Amino acid sequence: MSCEKFKILLSAYLDQEITEEEEEKLIEHLKKCADCARELEYLKGIKRVFLLKERKEPQEFFETRLFARIKDKRKEPMWHVYLPVSKKSILAVLVFFLLIGGLLNYRNFLSQRRAEKTSDLLIDTELEENFEEELLEIYYGPLG
Amino acid sequence: MEEDFQLLDKFKKGDQHAFESLVRKYKITVFNTIYSIIGNTEEAEDITQEVFLKVYTKAGSFKGKSSFSTWLYRITVNRCVDEIRKRNNKIISYETEFDEEEKLKLKNILASKEADITEELRKKELEDIIQKAMNSLPEKYRIILTLKEIEGLSYNEISQIMKISLAKVKIWLFRARQKLKGKLTFLYPQGE
Repeated sequence: MSCEKFKILLSAYLDQEITEEEEEKLIEHLKKCADCARELEYLKGIKRVFLLKERKEPQEFFETRLFARIKDKRKEPMWHVYLPVSKKSILAVLVFFLLIGGLLNYRNFLSQRRAEKTSDLLIDTELEENFEEELLEIYYGPLG
Repeated sequence: MEEDFQLLDKFKKGDQHAFESLVRKYKITVFNTIYSIIGNTEEAEDITQEVFLKVYTKAGSFKGKSSFSTWLYRITVNRCVDEIRKRNNKIISYETEFDEEEKLKLKNILASKEADITEELRKKELEDIIQKAMNSLPEKYRIILTLKEIEGLSYNEISQIMKISLAKVKIWLFRARQKLKGKLTFLYPQGE
């Protein structure tokens, strides 16, 4: 195993997160490798510094301020209470209905256009000869 | 853990005192986690409030698949990540370089015996030095070091909170410490 791998193990060793087998290998390596032994001392020093860090407390009346914010929040409409789904799901459903609505509108528009064109065709006496072709074109687009 | 679930259940049934108990129990944990990641007490205070507001409004969606504290840490870490990204867009940065006096103080801490340390260095100064070193790290390393060194969580808990594999926890912690070492090279005159 390379020194780099042993150094990763060193970090986990200090956190007591390595297996017994790994620990045995590491201790054997530390006896022979001065560089890794120095690294262990450095890591111990850093851990010590963190251990000395004092835990801070939020400012006085933290709860009072929090509950005031909660009270304000409760005045806002809480949609999630009534709709137990995420905003993304609501958006997806809206997009779906818009697409369906758009598609239906488009189909209505097309059939309306076809009806108008067909009635024009029926009125236009000059087109009598090509009536069938024109009608097919209205429904299926330009032919061949 | 059982107690947390009971409090949460009571809160879901409308007992506001149960929520207050959870706030009292975890406010210092949440505050210190945020402070260590964000590096500013005023912002940490504000974000701590936002975290508990989220717990208040999202308690119904907590299914109990993890412990309450893991869920709370996850909310806390996610909120910190949002804040850091917002801050990166605004290009706000805190000072991360040590001056000569700070370097000397840190050298003294590491060289002294544990019992002498509190006499040698006032706690506030120590806080500032550690925080400066933390502020200099990329967000993922700041988070993982906070969860390990400040909160003392296990690799398994960290893996659940950060949603990364155990192997990644091991590697990221190793790299975070290496980065920190890079910042503290003045402690190692032999150039390790």
